[in-house]
Parts: sequence; C-alpha cells; structure tokens
Amino acid sequence: MSGTASTLEPLFSFVTSSYAALETNFFKIPGSAVVARYVKSSHQNDPGRTLLEVILIIFAVRTLLQSRTRADHSGKHFIQFNEQEIDDLVDEWSPEPLAQPLSAQEKADLASVPVIVGPTGPKPKLSTGKTVTNLASYNFAGLAGNSVIKERAIDTLRKYGLGSCGPPGFYGTQDVHIQLEKDIADFLGTEAAIIYSQAFSTISSVIPAFCKRGDVIVADRGVNFAIQKGLQISRCTVRWYDHNDMESLEQVLESVEKERRKKKGPLTRRFIVTEGIFDHDGAMSDLPKLVELKEKYKYRLILDESVSFGSIGRTGRGLTELYNVPASQVDMLVGSIANGLSSCGGFCAGSSVVVNHQRINGTSFVFSAAMPAMLSVAASEGINILRSTPSILSTLHDNVRAVRAVLDRVDCIAIPSHPASAIIHLTIRWPAPATLQAPPAGASPGKPSNPLSVLPRDAPQFDVELEERLLQDVVDEALAQGVLVTRARRLRGQELVEARPSVRLAVSAALTRKECEKAANVVKTAFVKVLGKRR
Amino acid sequence: MFKKKSSSALSTAASYLSAVSEADARARAHGGTPNSTPALSLSSSLTTSSEDTVLDESGAEVVNALLYPRLPPTSEQVFTTVHTEFGHCANEDYRYTSQHRAGTSYKSNAEQDPPYYILLTTYLSYLMVICLGHLRDFVGKRMRPSFYKHLVARNGYAALNSDFDSFYTRRLKSRIDDCFSHPVTGVPGRTIVLLDRYSPDNNATLIPTGTRTRALNISSYNYLGFAQGKGACADAVEESVWRYGVSSGGTRLEGGTLDLHLQAEALVARFVGMEDALISSMGFATNSTIIPALVSKGCLVVSDEFNHASIRYGVRLSGASVRMFKHNDMQSLEALLREVISQGQPKTHRPWKKILLIVEGLYSMEGTLVNLPVVMELKKKYKFSLFIDEAHSIGALGPHGRGVADYFGINPRSIDILMGTFTKSFGAAGGYIAGNKALIDRLRLQGHSGVYAEAMTPPVLTQVLASMASIMGVTLPAEKTVSPALPLLRSSADLHMPEPEPECAYPGTAPAAALPSWMPLVPSLVDGSDGRVRLRRLAFNTRYLNRGLRKLGFITYGHDDSPVVPLLLFNLGKMAVFSRMMRTRATPIVVVVVGYPATALVTSRVRFCLSAAHTKEDVDTVLTACDEIGDVLDLKKAAGERWPLQEIIDRAVELVNMLEVP
Repeated sequence: MSGTASTLEPLFSFVTSSYAALETNFFKIPGSAVVARYVKSSHQNDPGRTLLEVILIIFAVRTLLQSRTRADHSGKHFIQFNEQEIDDLVDEWSPEPLAQPLSAQEKADLASVPVIVGPTGPKPKLSTGKTVTNLASYNFAGLAGNSVIKERAIDTLRKYGLGSCGPPGFYGTQDVHIQLEKDIADFLGTEAAIIYSQAFSTISSVIPAFCKRGDVIVADRGVNFAIQKGLQISRCTVRWYDHNDMESLEQVLESVEKERRKKKGPLTRRFIVTEGIFDHDGAMSDLPKLVELKEKYKYRLILDESVSFGSIGRTGRGLTELYNVPASQVDMLVGSIANGLSSCGGFCAGSSVVVNHQRINGTSFVFSAAMPAMLSVAASEGINILRSTPSILSTLHDNVRAVRAVLDRVDCIAIPSHPASAIIHLTIRWPAPATLQAPPAGASPGKPSNPLSVLPRDAPQFDVELEERLLQDVVDEALAQGVLVTRARRLRGQELVEARPSVRLAVSAALTRKECEKAANVVKTAFVKVLGKRR
Repeated sequence: MFKKKSSSALSTAASYLSAVSEADARARAHGGTPNSTPALSLSSSLTTSSEDTVLDESGAEVVNALLYPRLPPTSEQVFTTVHTEFGHCANEDYRYTSQHRAGTSYKSNAEQDPPYYILLTTYLSYLMVICLGHLRDFVGKRMRPSFYKHLVARNGYAALNSDFDSFYTRRLKSRIDDCFSHPVTGVPGRTIVLLDRYSPDNNATLIPTGTRTRALNISSYNYLGFAQGKGACADAVEESVWRYGVSSGGTRLEGGTLDLHLQAEALVARFVGMEDALISSMGFATNSTIIPALVSKGCLVVSDEFNHASIRYGVRLSGASVRMFKHNDMQSLEALLREVISQGQPKTHRPWKKILLIVEGLYSMEGTLVNLPVVMELKKKYKFSLFIDEAHSIGALGPHGRGVADYFGINPRSIDILMGTFTKSFGAAGGYIAGNKALIDRLRLQGHSGVYAEAMTPPVLTQVLASMASIMGVTLPAEKTVSPALPLLRSSADLHMPEPEPECAYPGTAPAAALPSWMPLVPSLVDGSDGRVRLRRLAFNTRYLNRGLRKLGFITYGHDDSPVVPLLLFNLGKMAVFSRMMRTRATPIVVVVVGYPATALVTSRVRFCLSAAHTKEDVDTVLTACDEIGDVLDLKKAAGERWPLQEIIDRAVELVNMLEVP
C-alpha cells in the first residue's frame, strides 16, 4: 500500500505543481479574475447549470473540430466495411480502359484531316504534294502570310522574345497587349476591350464571369459549342429560343418576365446569348431586332462574333458595322482574333466596367499566360490593314457572292447560311419525297417549343452517319479536283443539339473572283457527282 | 566550334566585352563595388557604347548591376547571350543536377507554423480592413453614390456585380493593386522592364508615368531561360515567320493542321517518353478541353486539393464526380481510394467506370512535388488511371529536364497521361497531352480543342521545337552512312555526345529528321550542351535560394529542388510592403505576392520563380534583399540553424551540395 503511495508520490506532486502553475498563469491573463468570480458565483447559485455549461462547451468544441468532409461517411448510403472486405472489393474492381481504341470509321475520320506542308494561305501545298485552292482555312481578309505583318512580328520577336512567361496578373501584361486592347476597342468603338489567349476559351470564360447561379440566360438553340460550355459552367437558369427566330425570342422573354412577376423574385441579371454569324450553319442574327428586344425587356446582350468579326461590314468590324448599330449597345461583344485577324486569341469588348470585371473574374484570363507579344502585334497590324484598306472586305464580299451564285441553285445542295456570310455551309438537299426528311405528321406551326428544353419541338430528322459519309466523299472528290474544303467537324454525342452535317467553305479575299468561281464549280460538280450516284 | 557562330553574335560579344571592361575600369576608378552603387550618370554614358546588348533604354533608369556581370568575362570566355536576358555565368561550380536520390523517400520541407502573435495579428488585420471597408462602403454609398453606380440595380437592370461579391476586390485587393498586373515591356528574361505607374487616388486608377525601370525578374515562369530575343531559338522562330507567317488558319481538324504540328507532336512525345502527343494552343484549355473527353458521368476524379483552376474547370465540364484529398498526403489519398472503390458510386453503389487521379508534378503555389514513388505504388494496388499535370515541372525538373518522372527515375510509360505546358520552361505558349497512341487519337477526335479551337501558330510551334531540341540535343545523320543501325558511327561523328543512344531511347536525343529541315542548328544546340547548362544552372539556383532563405530563418514551403519558392509572409499588409520594398531597391527586384483567395487566409506569401538565366550573383542579390526586408518586416521566424548572410553567400556551393540541411 505504502509502496504504491510512494510510487505515485511524484505523480501527485506533479499534478499539484502543474495545477498551481496553471492557476498562477490563468490569473496572469488580464480579465481572468472576472471569469473566475463569475464561474464561482454561478456554481454556488446553481450547480446544475455548471454541468450544463460544461456540456455546452464540449459540444461546441466537438462541432468546431468535426471534419467538414464527413458528410459521405454518415450519409445513409454509406456502408461500413472491414479492412478485409475493402481489400477484396479493391481486388475485385476492374476499371474500364481510359479510352476505347478508335473504330475503323473514326480512324478514317482522323486520316481524312488534310495536312498542309509549308505556309497556309489561298494556295497551300498538301502533304500529298498537291497544290490546292483553299476554301477551308479561316483567312477572310487574306492576312495570313502578309509581309508587313511578318516584318512587324519579327521586330517584336527580337524585342520581346516569344512567350510572355506569365499570366497577365503577374508581369505578363506587356505594353503590346495594352496596345492591342486599345486598338480593338477603338476599331469597334467600345470603351474598352480585353484579350484572351485562345478564341475558343474566350466566351466560355466571359459567360461564367458574369452569370452566376440564379441569373437568367436566354440563348439561341443553335449556339456554338464554346457557348454551350460557358452556359454549362455558369450554372444559371437557361431558357432557349428557336434558332435565329426573333418571334420565338420575344415569346421566351415574355414568358420569363411573366414567371418572374408571378414569383415576385428579386431582380436578377438577365442575358441574351447568341452569335453574330452562327458557326454551325452560317445564319446571321438580326442585330437591330436583338437590340430592340434587349432594351425592351432589360436584358444584357452577349454576342459572339467569332465568325463575323473580320469578315462582315465595310471594314470587317462585324455585325455592328453592317447594321450600323453602335457597338456600345452590345454589352459584351466577343470575337476571335484567330479567325478575324489571322493571329491567335480572342477578345471581349464592352464598357470599362464589363472589361475590368473580367480581369479578375475571367477564369481563362486570370489563370492563363498572356498571348505571345509578336502575335499581339500581328493582330494590331491586322486591324491597321483592315482600317486602311476597305477594298479587302469588298473583295471578300464579291468572292462570297461569286461562290453563292454558283452554289445557290443546285438541286442537291441546301444552304442555311446568310448570303453575306463568308463561311458557307452546304448541306444535302434530299429530293422532296425522301423518307429521311419527311415532315413530321400533324405539325401545327403555331405552337412554340418548350423554352426549358434545348431541343426544338420539331427537330429536323437526318441520318448523321449517312450524310457525313456522303459529305466526306464530296470533300475527297473536291480535293481530287484541287479544291480544299472540309466537312464541318462536330463533337457528335457531346453537343446539346446535333447540328446537321455540312461541308463548310470559308471564302477568302486572297483569292480572285475567278478562282472562287472555279473552286465553287468544283464543289458543285463534286456534290452532283456523289449524290447523283445515289439516285 | 565557335567559328560557326554568326557574325552578329560575335559583334554582340565584342561590343559587349568592350562595354564591360569599360564599366569595370570606371567602377574601379570610383573605388566602389559596381553592384552596390547604381551610378546612374556612369551607366547612361555606357549604353551608347553597347546599344546592341541592351534593349532600347531611352528613358529607362539603367541599373548597372543588372546590365553587366560583376566580373568581366576573361578572354577565353565567350558568351553569346545578352546578359539582361540570360545572365553570364562561367563558373562550373555553380551547377547542380536536379534528381531524386534513389533509395530515399520523398519529403518536402516541414511546413512550419509562425508564432501565435503573427497569426493573431493576421486575423486582426483582416478584421480591421473588412470593418474599415464596410464603413467606407456605408459612408460612400451615402456621400458619393456615383462611385457605386455599377453596383446597384438601375432602370430595370440588376447590377452586373453585387457590392457583396466584389467587396474583397474593391476594399481589400484594391489597396495593393499596385503590386498586381504591372505592365512590362521587353523580354521577360533575367531582367524585365517595368513601365512605371502611379496612382493619385488609392489605386482606383493607375496612370503610366512614361518612365521605365529595369528590374531583376524573379517572377516570370522562365525556368530554363528560353525567353530570349536573341539566340538559336529566336533565330529559328524568325526563319519560321518568314516561311510560314503567323497563322495556321483554323482548327486542327478543319484545315489548320500544318506539317509543323505533326513534327512538334512527334518531338514532344519523344521528349516526354510517350507513344504519342497532341498539342493545344493554350495551356489552360489543354486541361479544360481534354479532361471532359477522358471522363464522364459514372467516372470519378480524385483530385489534389491544390490542383490548378484549369483542372477544376475541366472536371466540372466533364460531369464526372470529384473527390479531393489533402494536398500531397498519401495516407489521405489511400484512405480515400479505399473508401471510393469499396463504396462505388453514390446511392447506386455500382462500381466506378473509371477512376482518374489528377495531380500536378510541381505545385506552383506550394513548391511541393508530387510524391510520385508512392503514387505509383498506390496505382499498382488500386488500378486507377494517373493524370499528371506537368505545367510547371516539365523542363524544370529531372536530370534531363523531362519532368517529375525523370526526377524520380520512373518510367513515363507507366503513367497514363502526361500533360504539360510550353509557357513555362520553353518560353512559348500552349500545352500538350501525351499518352499511348489509341488514347491520344481518341482525344484528337473528341477533345474540344481539336474540333473547335484554333491550332497553334507556326512561330510558337517553332519555339517549342527549337527549345526542346536544345534540351535534348540533336542526332545528326551519320555522314554518308544513313543507316540508323550503326549508332557507333554517329557517336564518332559527334564527339560531344556522351555515349551512343538507340533511336527511341528515353531520355534520348532528337533526330535531325524530326526537326524542320530549314531550322538553323548551332553547335551548342546540336550537342545538347546549351540545354545541359540551362538545366544545371536552374538546379543550382533553385537549391541555393531555397536553402539560403531557410538558413536566413525564413519560413518557406515546398521542396529544395522546386524552382518555385514560396516565402511565407502571413500578414496581409506585408504583401504590399514586401513587394514595394523589393521594387524600389537600388537594384529593383520584381516579385509575385499571392494572398487569399489563391492561398489560405493566413498564408499570404511571396513567390520566387527561379530561372537558368539567373546568375549566382542574382540569387545573392535576392538573398541580400530578403535578409534586409525580412529584418524590417519581422519575417525570420523559422526554427533551425541559421547562418549570417555573408556565410551563405560564401559557402553557397557547399550549401547546395549538402545532402540534407540541418
């Protein structure tokens, strides 16, 4: 007994001494006397309360220390396994391969991609050794290969090196970027502009920068893939209107307004998202009507001019120039520097509030390196050229008319593109009684589509595989005759609405009218030949 | 071998030599050490004699120490680079090899906590600026409503940005806006030229003053120093612009594919040691457009909590489920893997279709490397697919610069997907994905960028080809006998090759046939000596700064071999002060300061990015500056043995070569 007492002796003394130390230290803290007095008196009055308070404190500490990712364990779907069971399950699990090997069709698809040897331009040389007329590459104003741009680019290379080696926030903003932003803003007539280093990532960053959960977006059913991704990532409420149909848009705007009034919800941000010239089919938006509707219903307009900037209007300023609508009326005007100015990147022009907001909230602006200086200068020079030589655009428009004149009245070709559009989509026109495109029975034209669903009510029916195969034959046939065109490539299965398969031509000002006519005739002959075989 | 140098390089070197000796003579005459006194009048007279070596300095405040090396080169040393872009460093002692020591386990430096009073003051300072901000908003909205116009609903339009959402930006970040988005000009190499600006209204507007300041650049992602306006890569790019122009004219699948794309993809695949690779024109988009093609609903992405925004963006688009594990914590990862595999998909408990682990090779905010050896063991056991984002590690790590797999000596083919960017180590732009052929072909068709994003432009492709070839070295076809079956002949033809390597060896050289025939090949590029020197200089600088800072007593995160060095500041206000003090020194230094929301609330930090372009003296300069500022700002809080500054500078080589720092 005394043995245990003596062995415990140091422990006791340690407890006492540490208690004493704790006490003295506690009373050293200013204000501790007040706390002690309070505890003492409250314990005296009501010992039960002390117990309650201690429990409360323990509970609070436990809550604070609890892991926040615990949710999955305690959920009612969680199954408790022991280690052995987990090991067995791990052994049992066999994942799918990361990627399925390509099918023969897909392999052919990939192999059909043309490879240009040497510079791209109106007459590039292909890896097959053939020199072809190029109606595939985006080179609207014929800036690719311009020697003034080359010289300016090389000057810049020698002064700035190639890469910018940093995101814009961390010493990646070079004076040439600021200059290009200014040039674009001046060119379009907006307050400011911001440049992104890839055109595709521009709009899918611009949309989520402004549209948050709960905001309303009214979008065209035919918007391009980048916009679809932007809408997906923004997580806001999306309502759809029929492709390029202003009446449908007005109906949807009206229904959203009604819904809001019924709910009496707070005022949220509302946007109309559409394209200037649609990448999917070349149709053109009616900008004045869009602006009218947006002002009427108090929406902001996000307009993607990736195709129209640099190809439409007297000097290539896009839809705003064509319709003579001040660019400041489009709240966010997004365009492609890669397509329109034959360099790389994209831009968003708008008021300085809109632009500055993106400098912190535009995901792919903030987290990506700035555009290489020489490409930025090349774009600035491209704008200079467009400004100073309006003849470029008139040549382009002449060429477009020439191509359309050949292709417009061909039995087996349907062209959904606007007559002024520099990209021309050619789809197959089946003879009227074809089973493939039978009009759905009982179609009542008055009834609108459901704005909640991206699918239109009377979706056109077409056999994707068959049409793609035929169109590839057309492309191959045209190539054999020395004209490079391309099928419009799509991400089948990933798009919201499957676009009609088409052959896409991109007309360039670098070709002469004669060459364009000749190339268009080749395409026409190819269509007739391939489709004629099937009849 | 230097006879082949172009005449312009020789004249550069000659004019440069004369300028240096002149500078040296004058400095001696004044009796001061050249680097401590900027001697403005003297330097301005110097620029005239060496216009070729210096960017247009008109109006720029020239700092002598940045323009010329402290010791003038001797007669046998020939430098072909411009000192302001790529520093001259002939001392072979200042070299190191970035490599993991076999047999040891990966360990990054312990993350030390600061004393409690620093945490407390940090929280207090946040509290203070937040209260102050709200107070200013309260008063401002009443007194000057015009300033808040864009934050309130107006004639039927909701505000574009609510005052709540933008509070942090308006009231906290704007206080230190002068430390962000600083406009620059010129090559972002060893030094960078800042376009000075000032603000009359507390950073609401920043107005350029028109003057310029050249500063030591320890901020740009220029690990191997390929950001150069002169040199082999720039010459190759110039040639490509003459030949190809600046545009590739469309998307990869719709007529935008050039022969250069195929060459670059083949070379990238060879460089990283994979079967095939694809190239995307933007680094961010490489992740955000390719990950959705890899995983979909029913798949699980296991992601490190500090993964880059582009990865999160891509995963969000893919529709796959995501689970995160604690940063680089392999126990947490294993526990998570055991849980998700045993539980299967939520609710249905069906097995996951695929599990994709996404990690970064080198974390750009933390300076930590992925613990790859352990990940590979886990991969064997748990059968998940592995995706490594090598945005920062490719080129910067490993004895051959092939990234984190090379660093740990792991066969890259045992990793499923290697992703990386060209922005950082290669001085270009864009990114790549490498893997087996079937996978890459699928991504070519189903990744978003192949169909819809513009193809990479020719000058950027050329920069990639040239810089990569420079790191790899080039195998010239053996003279007359072109048979690849006789590697011995080749090695005798090129004595600089360390040893003959079979064609497809990893990490091997680039065959000359893989490069465009018009590309000018200088000897230092062919024998790989240029690339080797860059790799070894970077490794030395990296280790020196990492260890030097810790010997000075700073709290740093990450690994000694990480070229990204985060130095912890903790207090919000110290970010701005640190950045400004560095920028306004006699030898200005630009640094990147990062705070919330890029880091945790209390771990505001300054981030140094080292480069092969820095000389040992440059790192000395940074250490000296940190030492002084650290004293002022009370930053030296780390435990462990400390050395005085002079000792660190003197014993740098010893410090770098130590196995472990006590």
